[in-house]
Amino acid sequence: MSEERKKILEMLAEGKITADDAERLLVAISGENKTNAAGNEKKVMPKYLRVMVEPSPSSDNPERVNIRVPLKLIRAGLKLASFIPKDAQNKVNEALQEKGIEADFSKLKPEDLDEIITQLDDLSVNVEGKETVKIFCE
Amino acid sequence: MIPLILKLNIRDNKNKRFGIWLPLFLIWLIVLPLLVLAAPIVFLIALFLWPGGKGRMIFYSYLAIFALIGNMSGTKLDIQSKGSTVYLNLL
Repeated sequence: MSEERKKILEMLAEGKITADDAERLLVAISGENKTNAAGNEKKVMPKYLRVMVEPSPSSDNPERVNIRVPLKLIRAGLKLASFIPKDAQNKVNEALQEKGIEADFSKLKPEDLDEIITQLDDLSVNVEGKETVKIFCE
Repeated sequence: MIPLILKLNIRDNKNKRFGIWLPLFLIWLIVLPLLVLAAPIVFLIALFLWPGGKGRMIFYSYLAIFALIGNMSGTKLDIQSKGSTVYLNLL
């Protein structure tokens, strides 16, 4: 029995507080303890980005992809990507636009990646069609 | 961490298999001292080319090489298609 709990029960026994007050205090203490316990649990940061492509059960396509890339490697790669000459960056962007992807990867910064990782930590992207595509952090 | 071993397995559609365990730590023993020795020369070149803008690119790209090498460990690639398989793991 904790010290606080003992004190509350003693105060109740001495008649200093009512049973309702004692109950409220005990609930407040247990809530505090739960919050402290949750605070002590450290959130494990993901280390890898995982991309899995699997054929759907109805498909006869045997192609499977399973890629695991360290997030630190992606961060380092992004830093390097920002030094790609602008001409080459424009060519990449044009090629992406031809494929229907409206994105400028030269503007993607390591800070943006951190935000994506934080979001992916709680979310996995599942795309189901002929193949099932799963993207998640682990 | 620097990858110490490269595990590579390839199987083609004729079911021919090729597998290799490449001790990368032996390669790093040669490559890393060379990279460190080349660093002063690279930094000097970067310094001379800094006003033109290319020096910055050279300097940060050189640093990024170390970052890439140091963070490659744990990379895993497993691709299976009709009859052929490629498996790569950096340990």
